Amino acid sequence: MTIDEDDLVAQITQALKVVVDPELGHNIVDLGFIYDVSIDDGAAHITMTATTRGCPAASFLKEGVANSACLVPGVESVDVTMTFEPAWQPSMISPGVRSSLGFAEVN
Amino acid sequence: MIGTSLCRWANSYFAVAILWLLLAEGLIVVGFGFPNSDIGGPDTLVIVHIVCIGWVSTVLCGALFQFVPVLVARPLYAERLTLPALALLTLGLTVLLAGFLALGGHFNGPPWLLPFGASLLIAGFALVVANLGMTLWSARPLPGPARFVAGGLACVCVTAVFGGMFSLVLSGTAIGAQWPDLLESGVPIHAIAGLGGWLTFTAMGVSYRLLAMFMLAPDGDARLGRPAWLAGVAALTIGLVGGVLALWRMTGLNPALLLAGASALLSLAAYGRDVLGLYEARKRRTLELNTRMSLVAVASLVAAALLAAALLATSSFPLHVGTIAFLVAFGWLTGLVLANLYKIVPFLTWLETYGPVMGRVPTPRVQDLVAERRALKWFVLFFAGSWAATLMLLIDAAFGFRVAVAVVMLATLGLSEEFIRARRLADVTGPLRLPAGAAAPHLLVSRN
Repeated sequence: MTIDEDDLVAQITQALKVVVDPELGHNIVDLGFIYDVSIDDGAAHITMTATTRGCPAASFLKEGVANSACLVPGVESVDVTMTFEPAWQPSMISPGVRSSLGFAEVN
Repeated sequence: MIGTSLCRWANSYFAVAILWLLLAEGLIVVGFGFPNSDIGGPDTLVIVHIVCIGWVSTVLCGALFQFVPVLVARPLYAERLTLPALALLTLGLTVLLAGFLALGGHFNGPPWLLPFGASLLIAGFALVVANLGMTLWSARPLPGPARFVAGGLACVCVTAVFGGMFSLVLSGTAIGAQWPDLLESGVPIHAIAGLGGWLTFTAMGVSYRLLAMFMLAPDGDARLGRPAWLAGVAALTIGLVGGVLALWRMTGLNPALLLAGASALLSLAAYGRDVLGLYEARKRRTLELNTRMSLVAVASLVAAALLAAALLATSSFPLHVGTIAFLVAFGWLTGLVLANLYKIVPFLTWLETYGPVMGRVPTPRVQDLVAERRALKWFVLFFAGSWAATLMLLIDAAFGFRVAVAVVMLATLGLSEEFIRARRLADVTGPLRLPAGAAAPHLLVSRN
């Protein structure tokens, strides 16, 4: 990955912070929902998860991720994959957000 | 399919259900039905059916249309059947109640009211069972919580069939006259299948998933809920088969009911232990009001089971069937439903309003749609009123019971206002309330 592409990945990750999980009330990047962001010739590939399979919010979250990544200059197309492997765990939340949510110290 | 969509009419189901609940509470407050009149009399049947069909069944159907797809990660089989089902259930119950009122001599109604009302109700429940059943069928093998729902759906069929047969007996038809003993042995089957199988068993299954979701407790263990499921199925099978055998005069009814009761207690004990286990394993330490109040409702169910066991041990159970039924219907089922509506209504409202603009503009949280401190007082009043009313029934204080139910009714009105405020986004302040591109939701119908 080139420096430009690294920079674009950082910009996309920053842009995804506008998407908030309605239940937990924090952005999905800090919650650890974004498993991977990569760039391939202007096309962004994002792999993400949600707390629960079948949750009615999951499709909206996926759409929100696509919408916000599209707005980043230099991104020509966005492809979002929703996966539940591995399953999301509260241990994936960034430490500062975890304590503010009142989560137990977890593995 | 990963996500499931919103059920268009879920909020209509909730609204109709709450109106029925308020009507039942109002009737009790003015002294209609038990304990002022006979527990098996037509006036009490009016209240029992308003609570069980109008309130709990209607709200449960609305919630199941939304959450069975979540339980099995599949879309609802036929969204278009949900509104006709609501219409049939509401109209059927209205006609059935008119039939009971005529039976009680309140007006001079035709004898076909009861069977006609029952037929409409059976048609309504058939649409519900077909819709949810096909959704579950598409998701075999079923995960644990969904099995409870499947068991509940089987039980609502049994309840409806017996209800239909009773309507033929009570209205004095020629067919009904062939079953002179049906009411005596059939009523326990009708009640066990309805209250125990359909309402309680289904609520238990859904609560496994919802409690785990809201407390972020691990529920991936396939064994979770299995003892409660097995003991519950045993209780229902013994109760139903024993009841049918008693109906054919092959055995007495009491041994079957005792065995079924013992299995039901085992099932409830296993369920209580599972809920406690989920609570202890929760990753989310600070629990939201809906979860805390659900746990209080579970405590009411445990209290009802202990009270039933104590009454059985002292042979005074038959005297206090009404007390146990009230505690189960209000402390457990109504409490659990109101606690979960306090989450479901804002959650669905959030998805409908802010889901489509997610990623484009900043959005509020679901919790920004509610004011927990304000709602807490209504829940406290609700549970205090329900328990006080149970106590009043236990000591035969009919007037005290009515006063306590008036408190419950006040709490219901307070919580209804909270639900309406959530739909109106009344507690979301500033520019986050309706950002560009977001549309305010309608009170009763969701865009999907």
